[in-house]
Amino acid sequence: MKAFDIAVKDVLHGLRSSIFLVFTFAIPLLITGLFYFMFGRISQESDFSLPTTKIIIANLDKGGPRFQVSTNSIPGGKRAHTMGELIVNILSDEEMADLIEVTLAPNAAAAKAAVDNQQAQVAIIIPEDFSQQYADTYGEAQIEFYQDPTLTIGPMVVRSIMDQFMDGMSGVKIAITVALDQEEVVTSTLIGNMIQQYITSSLAQSKDVEEELLTIIPPKSGVTDTVQEEKNMLLSIVTPIMGGFMTFFAFYTGTASSENILQEEEKHTLQRLFTTPTRQSEILSGKFLAVFLTVFLQIVLLIISSHFIFGIRWGAFPNIALIALGIIFAASSCGIFINSFLRDTKQGAVIFGGILTLSGTLGMIRTYGFISTTETLGNTVSLLVPQGWAMRGLLQVMDGAAFPNILITFGVLLAWSIVFFIVGVRRFNHRYA
Amino acid sequence: MDAIEVNDLYKSFGDVKAVQGVSFTAEQGTIFSLLGPNGAGKTTIIAMLSTLLRPDQGDAKIMGYSILENPMGVKSVLGVVPQEIALYEDLSARENSTFWGKMYGLRGSILKARVDEVLEMIGLTDRAKGAVSKFSGGMKRRVNIGVALLHKPQVIYMDEPTVGIDPQSRRNILDSVVALKNQGMTVLYTTHYMEEAQELSDKIAIMDFGKIVASGTHAELVKIVGQLDRITLTINAEGSQVLETWKAISGVAQISSENGFLTVLAEDSNLVLPRLFDSAASLNVRITSVNILEPNLEAVFLHLTGRALRD
Repeated sequence: MKAFDIAVKDVLHGLRSSIFLVFTFAIPLLITGLFYFMFGRISQESDFSLPTTKIIIANLDKGGPRFQVSTNSIPGGKRAHTMGELIVNILSDEEMADLIEVTLAPNAAAAKAAVDNQQAQVAIIIPEDFSQQYADTYGEAQIEFYQDPTLTIGPMVVRSIMDQFMDGMSGVKIAITVALDQEEVVTSTLIGNMIQQYITSSLAQSKDVEEELLTIIPPKSGVTDTVQEEKNMLLSIVTPIMGGFMTFFAFYTGTASSENILQEEEKHTLQRLFTTPTRQSEILSGKFLAVFLTVFLQIVLLIISSHFIFGIRWGAFPNIALIALGIIFAASSCGIFINSFLRDTKQGAVIFGGILTLSGTLGMIRTYGFISTTETLGNTVSLLVPQGWAMRGLLQVMDGAAFPNILITFGVLLAWSIVFFIVGVRRFNHRYA
Repeated sequence: MDAIEVNDLYKSFGDVKAVQGVSFTAEQGTIFSLLGPNGAGKTTIIAMLSTLLRPDQGDAKIMGYSILENPMGVKSVLGVVPQEIALYEDLSARENSTFWGKMYGLRGSILKARVDEVLEMIGLTDRAKGAVSKFSGGMKRRVNIGVALLHKPQVIYMDEPTVGIDPQSRRNILDSVVALKNQGMTVLYTTHYMEEAQELSDKIAIMDFGKIVASGTHAELVKIVGQLDRITLTINAEGSQVLETWKAISGVAQISSENGFLTVLAEDSNLVLPRLFDSAASLNVRITSVNILEPNLEAVFLHLTGRALRD
């Protein structure tokens, strides 16, 4: 009973501190809110679209080896007798019309002048020997890309399409070279087949780019679905962020709440407590219970408030309840563990700034998998810290993972908690023995 | 019956011998003071008697409970007023009292009644809802004392409770200590203020460097340095003019003249001083200044340690 009295007193103490409240509840919600409105605003602007980029092409290609490509495979059913024509046809495709507007220039100077005069944003100059160089085993086919330096998005889109085109063509060229070496026969049919294969994949890739870039443009019809899709997309961004910051600040709260033991020691109220007919085990239990209750309150309030404020769906109740409990245990016991090594609260500032920030960032790496190539490594590294397991649990719940998988994550969180708690309690008991 | 029996306590912190073989007893319903300068070992003794520190050697019994064998028994009869303000400053006076009352095992209506009584006792009923952080130093001290009284302890330790407060609050605290004694509590009081120990105490132990250098009632301690009052005077003439005449005055034990000051040792300055004035008038000499120093604990400490109490 006395332990409970101590816990209630400590929780009230925390709730009366405005700084504590800000860090515990306000900041995680504010940060998530920031992301929510940042992404939400983009998706809610229904008239938003990427501006059409005006391209002027000076196709000077005089052709090279003759090749035939089925008109069914060329955009617009047009014929392409040179590589230059092929590029012009691809960029002029109707599928690209929302992104780029193509005009032709008689020569390179005219094309560049159009950019200089801001009549076009990008000039593509295809040299005379483009097809020839392309056909030559040792040749180097180059396209000149001339853009308005003050612009970014439009030229970037065009360059992206051209990069894909050139990458694909290089692959085809290599394939052709290999075929020639093996077969020792040059046939226009073979080249044509290769080009056809490329065009098919190139158009598919261009479509992917288009889709990728246009995912935030709402379709003209199906308003309800659109709103729902926007909402889903927004939540898919915001939910992990909320989960990440909830985890980060839960560990912060666990440590800050546990620091209350050291604060009481410095303010001599702990020593006074020890002079009352209250057992040390009761006093320390009360302090630990307060830490647990505070983190519990934080997690529950953040989960509920984020649901109502941002519409975040945390997943099935038993799953989120289990993982939330795991996070509460881990964050509380981690706080007790860390503080048991501190001599006084002055050291706490260094610990908060160092250990928690570092481990919290490591744990959240998977949330912000901004570098896709390091995603696997990030996932592995994040599991070196309890915050990483907490995030793993939250992401599992959000992704609707099977209960046994969630149970495993909970088990690991519990294991972290038990180790932290045993070490922390032993050290505190020894300290005040 | 002795409420406090301290038997040969020792405590060291590394090379520092904080308490060295301290023994004393305090009768129930009395005020026992530990008087000594800062660092004398008073607070360490309080910490050991509160069971916060385990002595390296020796034992003590509080109302019959051994601090080593039955610390919970000791705590149940004990109220401790620490030197520091050990309160939750963000809580109100009532909330603090209620919380500490619970820690002393009080519940329900008894707790509420005791909180009301104590708030009344310390004169803070009107400010009961105010956060302690907003209180003056004196008010905080009163709350600090009040929470130690909630469970009506049989023995109360007060560790320098008047440090750093204004004279009025100090007066209130000293009066409340006497009031506690009158209610039958045994008070163990530590101070480095000689006047407080002298005014309050039934028995005093003078401490220095972890040891009790003398103990007893105020009168017993003063006897150590003798019972003569010291009267220091200046006159508007040579001291030699009055020296022989005054030596013969009844009640004057000794007289000397040095550096323009006449020093008279007398059994009772109240009786001797008028006679000195009469004699001076008859000799046509004027007494221009008088200073009377009765034998006190300061003198005792000086006598025993060779240092002033406030050094």
